Amino acid sequence: MDHSTADKGVSRRGFFQLTLGWLAAIFAACASAVGAVRFLVPNVLFEPSLLFKAGKPEDYPDGSVTFLEEERVFLVRQGNTFRCLSAICTHLGCTVNRTGQGYHCPCHGSLFDDQGSVKSGPAPRSLEWFSVTLSKDSRVLVDKSQRVNPDKYLVL
Amino acid sequence: MNAPLPKQIWKWFERTRVGRSIFRVGLPQSNLERAQAMVSSFLLHIQPAKVNRYSLRASYSLGLGLISLYLFLILIGTGVLLMFYYVPSTDHAYNVMKDLQFVVSAGLLMRNMHRWAAHLMVIFVLLHMCRVFYTGAYKRPREFNWVLGVGLFLLTLGLSFTGYLLPWDQLAFWAITVGTNIAAYAPYIGSNLKYLLLGGNVVGQEALIRFYALHVIVLPAVAGLMIAVHLWRVRKDGGLSRPDEPGDIVQQVALSQLPTSKTYGLMELARGTTPQVGRNPEDEVFAWPHLLFRELLLFLLVVAAVLFLAIFWNAPLEEPANAIHPPNPAKAPWYFLGLQELVSYSAFWGGVVVPGVLVMALVLLPYIDRKRKGVGRWFARERAVANTIFTVCLVILVVLTIIGSLFRGPNWSWQEPWKKAPAATEGH
Repeated sequence: MDHSTADKGVSRRGFFQLTLGWLAAIFAACASAVGAVRFLVPNVLFEPSLLFKAGKPEDYPDGSVTFLEEERVFLVRQGNTFRCLSAICTHLGCTVNRTGQGYHCPCHGSLFDDQGSVKSGPAPRSLEWFSVTLSKDSRVLVDKSQRVNPDKYLVL
Repeated sequence: MNAPLPKQIWKWFERTRVGRSIFRVGLPQSNLERAQAMVSSFLLHIQPAKVNRYSLRASYSLGLGLISLYLFLILIGTGVLLMFYYVPSTDHAYNVMKDLQFVVSAGLLMRNMHRWAAHLMVIFVLLHMCRVFYTGAYKRPREFNWVLGVGLFLLTLGLSFTGYLLPWDQLAFWAITVGTNIAAYAPYIGSNLKYLLLGGNVVGQEALIRFYALHVIVLPAVAGLMIAVHLWRVRKDGGLSRPDEPGDIVQQVALSQLPTSKTYGLMELARGTTPQVGRNPEDEVFAWPHLLFRELLLFLLVVAAVLFLAIFWNAPLEEPANAIHPPNPAKAPWYFLGLQELVSYSAFWGGVVVPGVLVMALVLLPYIDRKRKGVGRWFARERAVANTIFTVCLVILVVLTIIGSLFRGPNWSWQEPWKKAPAATEGH
């Protein structure tokens, strides 16, 4: 083996060949990794629509809190006002139950009051409120992609 | 001449042209031939031809690493069989479980073996890690093999966790819901990680097929490769750790120091920490039969134990997954219940910071604790501080896991397991 080349230093051509070679290899590796991750990010979701109709306003008596199973939300009617509260615990995604004092998560015991604020337990945030409007055919229309403040109502 | 008939047939076959082409060394008759067989056979050469007597002592290694390997092999065998029936679809997965239970010949047994071997593997990989810690076996030159071992422990958890979803029952569905939401608390990447893992926002068809692909090919392939490197490093780092080890035996020869007028054999350049170097020959015995016999015996014991569990206890299967009704309480798999207990106090601290710090500490351990004292002995007095810290962490983990598994009833409230649980409140 000839060891003498190691002492000669690197020629200009050798430096560029080496640098460009490594840059190309690193770029190819990074591009492949990014491409593979992007491939795994779904572009279309086959999940239930976040926008749904919850029937006629008359279906919900005054002062009622109705749990909609499929949508995992509570529809709250007080007088002429409608609001919609998420039933998904902000802690680890379990479905909360309505109890006398508010809402209770069965998984880790978080307790929320009627406004969805955390009273106790590990939940980091209050339950989310969703936008409620009235559709053209006079149905309660809930949009789970629109988060609103708890003081926002649909007034009939 | 009065050898039993199978042996006579074997000996005849060995001498044929075909037999000689398959077996490079015939059935060995002497220690020399056995040693030759050990180094020239693909399946045997991962092991040394001669092995130190100390390494054979069951009271030293307890065979925990081997048991973990055997459980992995059982999981591959039963898992491949289960794949012939399993369909990763939310419409079919649960029905396949019922078929395996009631229709497929030995289907129940295969599923039970797979489930119990998976649980046992988590336990035995952890025990193996404890053994290596308490005997100081992670020290130079075995630092990197310890790091590989930490990786294999995490892979074991990942394999178990991804397999947990596949039956698509209530247990599976909610354990994965809770588990992936814990992952979502990771800083910066958490919510994207959850989205990528589930292939969406909810545990559904996309999540099932992703977990399936991870469970049957990605993670087993990575784990298999890492196990191979792990075993290879055990050989290259000088076999099992022993108290009388000289440490770094031969330094690698710098190429520039060699005269250029001479040609070299490979053995002159290789690093010399093979088990043979610097050892008294009387400390060593031939691996065939002393090591092989013990390995085969242990394999039989492991298979027997898994079969025993699988015959007498069925793997749990709850009602089909139902996204509307979480069970009360909803629990992660048992090996994550310590984590879930921590998460019930604070999701960020319990779910991200504590496990993150623990894993980092495990990875960095051999590079922080560098004193070569007390290697190769259980609970060496020189290592009292390290052993105490490790034991405290271990006890906390075990206590948290026991609390999460047995002492948490409906609404995650305190519930002594020997008292009857009150009826869960189900008021919407």
